[in-house]
Amino acid sequence: MNEKNSQIILEEYENKFLYRKSKTNLNIEFNRIAFIFFVFVVISIIFSIQLLHLGSLKKDNEVKTLITKKNYRADILDRNGNYLVKSVSSIDLGINPTEVIDEKRLLVNLQLIFPNKNFSEIKKKLNKGKFFYLEKKISSQNFEKIMLLGDKSIKYEEKLTRIYPQKNLFSHIIGQIDDDNQGISGIEKSFDKELKTSTEPLSLTVDTDIQFLVREELERFQSIFRSKGSAAILMNVNNGEIISMVSYPDFDLNKREALKDLNFLNRASKGVYELGSVFKTFTIAAGLEANLIEVDTEFLNLEKKLKCGKSTIGEYDDKIPSDLTVEQILIRSGNIGSVRIGQRLEIDKLRSFLDKIGVLKTINFDIEEVGEPIPFRWGKCKLATVSFGHGITTTPLQLAKGYAIVTNGGFDIKPSLIKKDANHIWNKKRIIKEGISKKINLILRKIVSTKEGTAGLANIKGYQIGGKTGTAQKTITGGYSRAKVNTFVAIFPTSKPKYVMVVLLDEPKISENYIYKYRNKKGSYKGTPYNTAGWTSVEVAGKIIEKIGPILATKYMEN
Amino acid sequence: MKKVSLLIIFVLILATSLVKNSTKEIEDKIFALNQSIRSLKVEFGDLMLEYNFLSSPDKLIQYQSQYFEKELIKIDVMRIKEISEKNNTIELTDLKKMIKDE
Repeated sequence: MNEKNSQIILEEYENKFLYRKSKTNLNIEFNRIAFIFFVFVVISIIFSIQLLHLGSLKKDNEVKTLITKKNYRADILDRNGNYLVKSVSSIDLGINPTEVIDEKRLLVNLQLIFPNKNFSEIKKKLNKGKFFYLEKKISSQNFEKIMLLGDKSIKYEEKLTRIYPQKNLFSHIIGQIDDDNQGISGIEKSFDKELKTSTEPLSLTVDTDIQFLVREELERFQSIFRSKGSAAILMNVNNGEIISMVSYPDFDLNKREALKDLNFLNRASKGVYELGSVFKTFTIAAGLEANLIEVDTEFLNLEKKLKCGKSTIGEYDDKIPSDLTVEQILIRSGNIGSVRIGQRLEIDKLRSFLDKIGVLKTINFDIEEVGEPIPFRWGKCKLATVSFGHGITTTPLQLAKGYAIVTNGGFDIKPSLIKKDANHIWNKKRIIKEGISKKINLILRKIVSTKEGTAGLANIKGYQIGGKTGTAQKTITGGYSRAKVNTFVAIFPTSKPKYVMVVLLDEPKISENYIYKYRNKKGSYKGTPYNTAGWTSVEVAGKIIEKIGPILATKYMEN
Repeated sequence: MKKVSLLIIFVLILATSLVKNSTKEIEDKIFALNQSIRSLKVEFGDLMLEYNFLSSPDKLIQYQSQYFEKELIKIDVMRIKEISEKNNTIELTDLKKMIKDE
């Protein structure tokens, strides 16, 4: 490198770097303050946003803490706020013998707290050296005393216990939970997540007093008609709220038994039956809906017997006239007349009507225990048998739904066990033409109020009861057994229906000693003359309505 | 402008500390109230359970058979009257008059 070129010459330029006070300097200072202010504002905004964000998350966090809370399950109430299920936490106490320091002292102390316990047994267990439970569901006083002993060998476990103050009354509706707080049946299963997370109790539509009276009558008549089981449903026809749903036999939920006997099945929602003549109402309603018949349309020269394939269709009552109007067909429960209406309707119209009112497919309900109607292939013979309620199956719950729609003015409803809040808006969707319900209700009333009708035993004064009976033989593989299913569907009051009630007796037998008191005339009758719905389920329904009627009339008069 | 900005910052700091202080006090009060409500709720729940059990239909029927068998009678719905007040006069009407059989 060239040395001359690399020389650095230092010169002083002091004058050029002299400090001068200028206006721009003032701006620098102001900008600094503005910047700090800006930063402060930004921090404040971020802080506010954070606060707002946390505020909005508060509820979710509460839910999260509840989810993680193992021993939590919300209570269940009836429609009047009475406890059906209450959760209480209980403590189980155990001893780990390997951690016992002074066995003698521990036993003496425990004897003071539990004087009634067998301590020779406890001593044996202590010598075995394995953990064992000393006392389950210990009282809080005893728990405090035990804890004051300060013995490390004493272990405790907090558990959730469900208490059912109404014992058997709602067994099929409420269902059970397992030891791990998991719902295994009924509302406990279908609302498992809600019950574990909700801070509020779950309110049902059922009424404890009415449920008790319905169950009491079913239990009483179980011994009179010696049936295998029975079921009853009381539902509001206008909104589908189930006020009572009983299936008998039932079980005490407090006992926490594992049920293996199929007879404990929930007959009201899971039992699938051929229900017989109660379907004739649907056939006639379908005919009215399709404008193919009127109430006074006459069917002349009706045969006493009809052949369809290998089977013969006959009349239940041989004295039934050959010329009948549509109204008379339903009142006298004519099979051949119903077949003729069905044939006039043809398959598509009858099928679509039954589908519309929800009796053909599995119902979407608040509990998972629902039966599936047995599917079948439609044909000419099937059309004939379905018209009078044979060869078609459904559940009592779906039957109640179907009757509610046919009688409430044609509005669709969804049977429900969960009470909606006071602000809930009921959307009414008409699925059947206006005016059909009025015609049907008048006929149903005559079935109960006239001597030609089959349900005179349910004619309770003051309730304007209407209804239809159904007597069907139970199906067995390849045919029918002699055992019967007797059903009665009641609607009341028929001038403006509020309630539908289904009473089903599974395999009832005649009673020789039961005394019937006639309702349409004076006098009484000893013994069941025929094993039909008119002499069995109608009597049960009449007795139930007689008992629950005053409660319904006074308690729910505003509804 | 500088003074105004500083004043705003000071006021904001003061307001924030005051609000935070009062919020903390309110929070403490809410916590204390929640605790006392929680224990009262538990007590109320237990008492309600006891009441529901003792006044359950099953128990009432039991009491009826024990103490009032002859005193309690079944109500006929046709005998139930409805009380209403019109123009300062009390009127008694049959509850079931509106449902007349055809």
